[in-house]
Amino acid sequence: MATRTIGEGVVVERQRRLSETYVGRWITTTDHKLIGIMYMVTAFFFFLVGGLEALLIRTQLAVPDGKVLDPATYDQIFTMHGTTMIFLFVMPMLTGLGNYVVPLMIGARDMAFPRLNAFGYWIVLFGGLFLTSSFLFGQAPNAGWFSYAPLTELTSACGNAVKCTPGLNMDFWVLGILLLGISSIAASVNFVVTILKLRAPGMSINRMPLFTWMTLVTSFLLLFAIPSLTAAAGLLLLDRHLGTHFYQQAFGGDPLLWQHLFWSFGHPEVYILILPAFGIISEVLPVFSRKPIFGYTFVAWSGVAIGFLSFTVWAHHMFAVGLPTVAQAFFATSTTLIAIPTAVKIFNWVATVYGGKLSLKAPMLFALGFIAMFLIGGLNGVALAVVPFDYQATDTYFVVSHLHYVLFGGTAFGVFSALYYWFPKMTGKLLSNRLGVWQFWLMLIGVNLTFFPMHILGLLGMPRRYYTYSGNLGWNELNLMATVGAFIIAAAILVFIWNVIVSLRSGEQSGSDPWDAFTLEWDTTSPPQPYNFATVPIVRSRRPFYDKKNPDIADWKTATH
Amino acid sequence: MVSETGDSLSNERKLVSKMNILKEVPGSHTSYWPFILAVALIIVLLSIMITSVIVFGVGVVLVVAAVIGWGLEKR
Repeated sequence: MATRTIGEGVVVERQRRLSETYVGRWITTTDHKLIGIMYMVTAFFFFLVGGLEALLIRTQLAVPDGKVLDPATYDQIFTMHGTTMIFLFVMPMLTGLGNYVVPLMIGARDMAFPRLNAFGYWIVLFGGLFLTSSFLFGQAPNAGWFSYAPLTELTSACGNAVKCTPGLNMDFWVLGILLLGISSIAASVNFVVTILKLRAPGMSINRMPLFTWMTLVTSFLLLFAIPSLTAAAGLLLLDRHLGTHFYQQAFGGDPLLWQHLFWSFGHPEVYILILPAFGIISEVLPVFSRKPIFGYTFVAWSGVAIGFLSFTVWAHHMFAVGLPTVAQAFFATSTTLIAIPTAVKIFNWVATVYGGKLSLKAPMLFALGFIAMFLIGGLNGVALAVVPFDYQATDTYFVVSHLHYVLFGGTAFGVFSALYYWFPKMTGKLLSNRLGVWQFWLMLIGVNLTFFPMHILGLLGMPRRYYTYSGNLGWNELNLMATVGAFIIAAAILVFIWNVIVSLRSGEQSGSDPWDAFTLEWDTTSPPQPYNFATVPIVRSRRPFYDKKNPDIADWKTATH
Repeated sequence: MVSETGDSLSNERKLVSKMNILKEVPGSHTSYWPFILAVALIIVLLSIMITSVIVFGVGVVLVVAAVIGWGLEKR
């Protein structure tokens, strides 16, 4: 289709540029809101892929001596489940939410580096497709999401990695992870500069919304944690293809080097995956309790404390490798210490809800569910910090239960809280609250039915990642329960998909501020104009939009911040 | 309690002077280069997977072109 320009009686026709077509607009956009939506849609697609992998795993383990998958495929499926959920669902989803919401929250017109922002997204998309395409070649990564060397390379019997692990499986993993690391660095630099330099006039650091705070902390964590993973993956690539032996003891290398490098990324990574969810919860709870957050300063700075401490705990993943006693004591102590700032947050959230005028809409339900589920995940994490207990429970289903309570009961509940909360801002339509409540209860039941029995399975000695098990070990009923729970979670996700489709087609119009919210993203149209704000707002307190709506009782008149 | 004293009014004037009011609606900024650079990097990675020097060369040329195009693009 062509557009027409009329000048001096001559009709000039020009072809529409690619960037003016529907597809071209998405390919060439540098608008943080469109990029945020692309991140979220992509992440949700990979969530479905990872979810299907989880269902395959649970179907295989539903009964003893299962034969749904062959052992080699099972290895690939559980490796890709972990890799997909962490690197291709949670991280891009949180980046997408941050992309959409943070500039609006701080009164900015875009991210600091819009083209770098677009580049980061395309790398995630292509990196994800690259990793997942490994299934098409029958060579998906197969050594677990933390890919321990020397399992992933050579053994002492082989002189070269390709002879010992001749497939491309781990090459897909290494290169995919390197690529996704580039994207994470690009996004983090962008968030740091945007948050530090583009805040609206009057929005001091101590007036920033808590989701922005947690995005800032997470970005710094990524900037300091990713290089360790990049180094580990680079050395593995050299070992596999250029004959070096960084992880090969028989040739003077050290297998523990991989574990140290990986977990000095891997444990901050856990907080990279949960801190933005903390931020989401800290935004949703006050709005649906009709109160300011209790102890803003403590909530914000406990996030910073968690960020620092997260770099001091990595070797609690390695208690069983035979660390010196002093190291075990140090890492057990630091791991226990990190529970303190985390508990500070939980106490503050509970105090925010306490005495509030609660509105139990879907975002609030997911936020409350988050607190309960994350509390379980946090407490069984503290149990794993106790070295003698960790010796017993390491590499069992107890650990699987712990990480899923944190990352599914925690982060995924936080993500759904955010999606129900900010969907109206992104689309101008409300998601159905009735379907949202259904989804919440199905997810809550499903998560507990799936992951709680895994505590007991772990204590009974069921190792993680085993392909199958005998029927005489006392694990049968618990495994069946976990499988039924996984399918209930799948039903909850189908309800969400149905909700999105129905709401986009015929959902209730939301208006610009459906929740009577407090922060700046609601002080513009839904969805916002490309430039976000015609006039950059002025901030006088931590609840600038509340101030604007309630000038007589504005926070800046009655509070000292 | 903060009252509207001289100090707070002068702070307010400073804030208002920082207000960025749009005089015209800006056009949308678009760029092909982020997409092209990402595609180029993927081609380089694929060349490593299939150990093809030719594909690697094509990928590297595309990466260089994309970086230069990105740098020279008028904003």
